[in-house]
Amino acid sequence: MFSISTQAKYWLFTGETELATCRAEANRSYISSRRAHLTDNEVASCFLTPMEEKLLSRQYEVVLRKFCSEFQPPMPKCVIGTSLAYFKRFYVHNSNMDYHPKDIMLTCVYLACKVEEFYVPIGQFVKNLRGDREKFADAILSFELTLMSKLNYHLTVHNPFRPMEGFIIDIKTRYKDIQNIEIVRRTAEEFMERSLQSDACLIFSPAQIALAALSFGATKEGLSLDRYIKEILFKTATEKEAEDTLYQLRRVKFIVKNTESVPREQAQAIQKKLDQCRNQENNPDSDVYKQRMLEKLDEEEDVRHRKRAKLVADDEPMFFSLEQDR
Amino acid sequence: MEEQGCPRCKTTKYRNPSLKLLVNVCGHSLCESCVELLFVKGSGLCPECGTSLRRSTFRLQIFEDASVEKEIDIRKRVLRDFNKKEEDFPSLQEYNDYLEMIETIVFNLTNHQDVEATKKMIDQYKKENKDQIKKNLSKLSKDEEFLETLIEQEQHETTIRKMILLEEEKKEKAAKRKSKEALIDALMYQDRPAHDIISSHKELAQHEELEAKRATTAFSTGIKIGHRSDIVPLNKQETAQLYRYCPLVIEWCGPEPPTVDELYTDGYLRNIRTISDAERAGGFREALACHRALQDAFSGLYSFPNVSAPSPAKRKSFPQTAAHSPMITS
Repeated sequence: MFSISTQAKYWLFTGETELATCRAEANRSYISSRRAHLTDNEVASCFLTPMEEKLLSRQYEVVLRKFCSEFQPPMPKCVIGTSLAYFKRFYVHNSNMDYHPKDIMLTCVYLACKVEEFYVPIGQFVKNLRGDREKFADAILSFELTLMSKLNYHLTVHNPFRPMEGFIIDIKTRYKDIQNIEIVRRTAEEFMERSLQSDACLIFSPAQIALAALSFGATKEGLSLDRYIKEILFKTATEKEAEDTLYQLRRVKFIVKNTESVPREQAQAIQKKLDQCRNQENNPDSDVYKQRMLEKLDEEEDVRHRKRAKLVADDEPMFFSLEQDR
Repeated sequence: MEEQGCPRCKTTKYRNPSLKLLVNVCGHSLCESCVELLFVKGSGLCPECGTSLRRSTFRLQIFEDASVEKEIDIRKRVLRDFNKKEEDFPSLQEYNDYLEMIETIVFNLTNHQDVEATKKMIDQYKKENKDQIKKNLSKLSKDEEFLETLIEQEQHETTIRKMILLEEEKKEKAAKRKSKEALIDALMYQDRPAHDIISSHKELAQHEELEAKRATTAFSTGIKIGHRSDIVPLNKQETAQLYRYCPLVIEWCGPEPPTVDELYTDGYLRNIRTISDAERAGGFREALACHRALQDAFSGLYSFPNVSAPSPAKRKSFPQTAAHSPMITS
């Protein structure tokens, strides 16, 4: 149930302004930990600005959707929705410079596959990628736990796809004025696709997105759902609830309509800049990262060794006394 | 796995199930008959390694791996000298180090590593700790003390039990004699008919016997006599409150979705595809999917993040985001 989910509780923001402040905060905290004693001008030329980060995220969301749509075996829509939700949630409180979106993107899809019960083994998963597949697999698996902890283990995502089906069933049953609601489906789905590119899933409930998509589709097809919404759906609602919901629906449409794609050249320029300022500790190709992984491994081994030594030492006194009895 | 057998006469457990393997300090096993043959004089050389052995030190091989036996022997010998207790050390760490040292010595001797150096070490240790070794030899370790007290306690209890039994027997005998005398007295001096007296007497005897039995059963539980405090009261029942079912109330945050019954009466099910046989076999029904879709559609429809209690991360209030509103086109 969405109303009592972690999504409603922790991952709904009031609007794009709040999201922007969160992202700016993530950006600022990363820069302040790295800048040493650079001047503001140098910082601006060296690190990504919040705006650039947002553009880069958008660009990678496009890449993610392309990857998903070409994925073999073909994946259900909810996997795409969930992986995009993970991706967006991750970069609300983390900077693109700290974790490269390229790695996080793949990890999001892999995790979403698992959560949405469309499990694809890692070997088969990386077959959808070009390049050094083993390296990709390693990167995905090593970021998986990080991703989950950054998402606070809130892994259930409510996507707007099922609510839309629900509304269609409801309209067919209770609103006889429209007999051919199915013709709305195509435009509504297009709207939903576009909504995935926006921050809508961080601001609105899936039901609101679905209803907005349907009402948008209906208007495009020359139908109107206004009477259905006002007279049937809101029959039991208070005036304020109805008003606020209508306002939310208008906001969904506004935000979704205003999403625009990022020009390729701009994205490439940002990416170049990112290569210089990204956190090398989270770069699977860097020496720092490899070194750290090695240390971690050693540490684990060490701990295990110490534990065993302790166990042996604890056992001994008993063993001795047994021997002496003979 | 290799068949266990005597290395000298090549008899195996398979061919002779009653084969008994013996082992001596060197860790090489021999079967019983070979030992008898080779050590007629009471001592001789091990056929494997040439160590001189005494017949009396041969014992039954318990572990399949003879080297384990050898290790046990060496350990026994080493521990005779290295007999410090935990109390002899100021800290656990030092005691552990000491134990570690013993392990190293045992390992070295068993596996023939630095034998000379190790032996030297042992000798040095012996010299340094001569007094303490002697002192500790007479002392029992804590575990042994504990065992001893346990055994003592048990013995004490068995003697008590025996005494109680004896006394009871005596009492019984006395009672029997008494009742017999009473019967004869009654027969002699009472005026009632004889068979009447006998039958009433029998009844009485039976009654007594029953009582006695009851008394003995009360004692024949496994609980130690005189240890009342050990008995855990079994009838300590906690009276938990009975579970009361209260139906689940869900906060929909939206219009109330139809109930499953309404799906049927209001004709919702006409508007979804019919279920396939395979799905029905799996236990699904149309109503299930339909109900879920409708629930998902209605749940959270009236969700306005600014209205619900804001988390620390959500400091922004709604009016600021409403700055968009003039631009909104419906």
